[in-house]
Amino acid sequence: MQSSNLDQSSKEALDELLEFHWMMDMIQTVDVGIVVFNRQFEIKVWNGFMEAHSGLLPSDVRDKSIFSLFPDIQLKWLEAKTRPVFDLRTRAFITWEQRPYLFKFRNYRPITSNAPYMYQNVVFSPLVSATGTVDNICMMVYDMTDAASAKKQLLSLQVKQNEMNEIASK
Amino acid sequence: MLSVLICDDSLVARKQVAKCLPQDLEGSVNFAKHGAEAITAILDGQVDILLLDLNMPVLDGYGTLKQIQELELGTKTIVVSGDIQSEAKERVSALGAIDFIQKPVNSEELIASLHKHKLLDAAETPQNSELNLDELVRDCYQEVVNVAMGQAGSHLSKIMDVFVKLPIPNVSLIEVSELHMMLSDLDEADRTSGVCQGFLGDGISGEALLMVTDSSFKDVAKILRITDEVDDQLQLELLMDLASLLIGTCLSGIANQLDMHFRQGHPVVLGQHQSVQELIALNKNAWKKTLAIEVSYGLDGYDIRCDLILLFTEESMDMMNAKLAHLMDE
Repeated sequence: MQSSNLDQSSKEALDELLEFHWMMDMIQTVDVGIVVFNRQFEIKVWNGFMEAHSGLLPSDVRDKSIFSLFPDIQLKWLEAKTRPVFDLRTRAFITWEQRPYLFKFRNYRPITSNAPYMYQNVVFSPLVSATGTVDNICMMVYDMTDAASAKKQLLSLQVKQNEMNEIASK
Repeated sequence: MLSVLICDDSLVARKQVAKCLPQDLEGSVNFAKHGAEAITAILDGQVDILLLDLNMPVLDGYGTLKQIQELELGTKTIVVSGDIQSEAKERVSALGAIDFIQKPVNSEELIASLHKHKLLDAAETPQNSELNLDELVRDCYQEVVNVAMGQAGSHLSKIMDVFVKLPIPNVSLIEVSELHMMLSDLDEADRTSGVCQGFLGDGISGEALLMVTDSSFKDVAKILRITDEVDDQLQLELLMDLASLLIGTCLSGIANQLDMHFRQGHPVVLGQHQSVQELIALNKNAWKKTLAIEVSYGLDGYDIRCDLILLFTEESMDMMNAKLAHLMDE
């Protein structure tokens, strides 16, 4: 009887482990960049999207500061951006209209799209720890290249049309 | 649904006429700056009633009436003009205007005229009964937002080291036309930038709208300790930062009390340096009536004017009311 109980609990433990495994797999493969960093801006999680686009392996970036890996990102700027996320637990957002990219990645479709780089929307979301404090932030990086090129095309068409209208009215 | 178009080249006049329309008007109010715009709007879709000024650039009132007649558009037109010569009256009625009201317009006169020509009949079906805001419920909403603002205020002053003047939130059920008016009050000489952000959770959904007058940005930069010159790019950045802060703190304050959590979508820039009318002209027919919570922020010693408007969808009301009832029981 006892041995079957043991079997039961070890089976549950195995199930949990398997579940954990495919959940991690999901984070790895989802087509959104996921980065977790702490108050010192040291990287804790770096998923497959980030790895593929940056060419940096998780082992290359783990526990390293974002600023040492990406010198283009300004310390003061990111500190100001993430302060409310740490202290107020609100989300912070960056849109591609505001700054085209945070990480300079190459465009996903190098052949059929003419965007020079990947336009990105970025969300900073607080991660509340088991003790109720926010020690880490989850940063999500979305590829907005298609939306950005569509909007840019639309704008240039509008400008063209206005010019044509002006010529026609002369 | 009644669609009213106010055509006048003066912003003040447009606002003044809009304010004279019946408060409970079931429908939308749109604006045009001259006759050509009005004709385009009429051709574009339904304009049931046109309130038309006479002296305007591009295409004046007479020309507009003539075109309506020639194109057989059948738009019921009331002329609103400062020109009180009897000849003007005769001319416009010959051109098909159904009435003539002298500027400055007063509410009774305009409503009387609308009644006289039976233009309000369609609008006066008692649709209001189902969606009236009970005084007690309204108080409750107001209190919830007050508390949320209190929390948000203390958080904000912690981050920014300034005293946040806590505004009294204004809770009301509004219609599209009223949102227009609410926003056109903002739209005086100043230009405005806006951000909207969707939020949802537990069957409650809505949109937060943050409008910042452009003159505020210098001081916003000061408060967020940004020393660079405030150009367009930086303004956009400040706008997003301010939106993240104000919308985030207010929503989480409300969610905490209702014991729930809101997910926020990515904020969308509504446009920089546009007039408010342009900002919301895009999507004005998608909804009829909605719960609006309006908060005007001010900061001690700074020239910052920004308004946060939380709009909840009609479907969300039941869930919200249930949650509030729960809160009131406690």
